[in-house]
Amino acid sequence: MSLTHRPSTGFAYLLPAIAFTAVFVLYPLLQLVYFSMTDKSLMGGGGYIGIANYVRAFNDKAFWQALRFTLLYTAFLTPLLMGLGFLLALLTMRNSPLPKLTRGIIFLPVVIGLGSSSLLWFWLFDQQVGLVNRLLVDLHIIAQPLAWFTAVGTGFMAICFSITWKVVGFAMILFVAALQSIGQEMEEAAIIDGASYWQRVWRIFIPLSRRTLLMATLISAIGSMLAFDQFYIMTGGGPRGQTFTTVYFVYQNSFVFFKLGYGAALSIILAAIILAGSTLQVWLSRRSAGS
Amino acid sequence: MKSFTVSNLMKCGLAGAALALFSASAKADDINIWARSSAANAVNHMADLWNTTHKDKIAVTVIPDNQMVTKLATSVTAGDVPDLISFDLIYMPDFMKAGYLIDLTKELSADPNQAKVAKAFRELGTFEGKIYGTGFTPDVSILLYNKGLFKKAGLDPEKPPTTLAELKDDAAKIHALGPDIYGYYFSGNCGGCNIFTVAPMMWGSGAHLLPANGQDKALDGPGVKEVLQTFQDMWKGGMVPASAQADTGANFQATFETGKIGMQGSGGFAIAALKDKHPEIDFGIAYLPGIKAENASSFVGGDVIAVPKGSKHADIAKAFIAWELTDDAQLNGLAKNNILPSRTDLADNQFFKAEPRYVTTAKAVGIGQTPWVFHFNDMVNSDSSPWLQMLQTAIFDGKVDDAIAAARESLKSIASN
Repeated sequence: MSLTHRPSTGFAYLLPAIAFTAVFVLYPLLQLVYFSMTDKSLMGGGGYIGIANYVRAFNDKAFWQALRFTLLYTAFLTPLLMGLGFLLALLTMRNSPLPKLTRGIIFLPVVIGLGSSSLLWFWLFDQQVGLVNRLLVDLHIIAQPLAWFTAVGTGFMAICFSITWKVVGFAMILFVAALQSIGQEMEEAAIIDGASYWQRVWRIFIPLSRRTLLMATLISAIGSMLAFDQFYIMTGGGPRGQTFTTVYFVYQNSFVFFKLGYGAALSIILAAIILAGSTLQVWLSRRSAGS
Repeated sequence: MKSFTVSNLMKCGLAGAALALFSASAKADDINIWARSSAANAVNHMADLWNTTHKDKIAVTVIPDNQMVTKLATSVTAGDVPDLISFDLIYMPDFMKAGYLIDLTKELSADPNQAKVAKAFRELGTFEGKIYGTGFTPDVSILLYNKGLFKKAGLDPEKPPTTLAELKDDAAKIHALGPDIYGYYFSGNCGGCNIFTVAPMMWGSGAHLLPANGQDKALDGPGVKEVLQTFQDMWKGGMVPASAQADTGANFQATFETGKIGMQGSGGFAIAALKDKHPEIDFGIAYLPGIKAENASSFVGGDVIAVPKGSKHADIAKAFIAWELTDDAQLNGLAKNNILPSRTDLADNQFFKAEPRYVTTAKAVGIGQTPWVFHFNDMVNSDSSPWLQMLQTAIFDGKVDDAIAAARESLKSIASN
């Protein structure tokens, strides 16, 4: 057997990646699982308590409320981002100067940090000095400046608006790449057959970019399930703790209440939920691709 | 020639090694202090003064406020701690209980300056009869008021309110100046801001707010209901801007700076900030009022100084603590730079004479309190704390009694953990 055909040679090539994964992924993950079965505190102490943290999480109304809110946020924002991203991709898919410039402008917010953009929008929505209120009052859409973050509904809408501005460009770029990879001849054939623009979108563009659509949906949904910065900065979980997301709740328990063990258990539960959702989505996409 | 070169090289090598050893030993006498970012200015002034007068130098490492607890806990666990630490005094009970700090009873009880440190710092630094830390860079809550708006509203700008009733009346008169002029401001979605500026009105009136354990009283005595009702009345009467309800503390300072706010609970830090950034605003400083005129009080906040367990230069760290309590350090390190001294006997000093507002603030250190409780974050600072829930339900929803009852139960439950 030559050197290159020995199994140990292949393993040697894999070793750096395995070592990296073991040290930076596997070990912390196992540590997290161990922590989740303790009542360790950031202030010291704590020992093994079995599944008590999981039982506690199951009975913790505040955790379920945070999870419900996160799911609602994900369910609302994901279709919005995907739909708008796809429409923008349709508008800017050609490689002439104006669509290219438009793509660049729409993509620009993606490179801003989420913390910075949240702070920016927090001030734009401010009741006293915010430009959004000024604009809406000048356009006679509202009579008086709104305190956007005093109610769940308006606060939620403000955050969704800011996040859409921030990340829709990412979805758009993915879709543009998918649309540009579709052969020109296919669209031309459809035009010759008399297909209208929307028929071409519906029958050619969407089916042929389905893989990208599903991948982008998955990335977006996971991102929304892990939402933290925007709520931490813009609503602080308020009013009355009604805009706590799951990650925010984990942060509160781990680093504000110092309950590392409970925070670890909540993280494991959240990871399991995301894993289950992602698996289901991948399975559904494979099944639909097969059919 | 060759042997000469080798010999010279050896000599050079030995000299180099000796120099390296000397440097290492000289460096070993340098100590470091961790300070949270909000106190960095004061700590840097103290460190600079120490370094000009002492052989052993001190270096300051600034840690973001919200990372201090995590970093200290991690460093103690890892056995790699700074020599000194300056942190929010409110965490002192938790740190002392966790065994993170060195016992300083012997040194501080023998130090005559320790008795002159504000009572709140001395109490917060003591656990089970032992002293673990002392006052370093205090700040206190006060009532900030816009003298210009007082004049326009027909109020005497030299007579700020001394009772809750006067506070409400003055707020109403100021709000009557125009729909975008408000009598009072507070950050309605910030637990920490309001324990600093609203709680003193309650405990100054006689209330006991936070329970030290499950059996202790919570939100008990005169002041709690009266203060919440006053705030509810001001909110209902439109004397507070609607944006206050959602303010997580981000606008704590900025709203008063618009010049459209008559009064606000704030801190001593506001004096320098306003003088520097808004010299056009004529503002006054007063004590936070209670039910009666004699109920004025304050929250003594700021930083304590302590030596973490595992400090490699505990002897120098202790010497620094003894030094920072001296007249020289308190006056030339703090007061000279418009920072409050932690010793109450130095409140009226030569540096504050030109700015009487600092004297008022420094005197507030003497009448102020700080709650001595474990789990302060759970009870107060967190975004879902019972303290914050109580304020919001009482002030914005108008359910004062229900809010107090619910918060009392939650506080006791947290304290019993």
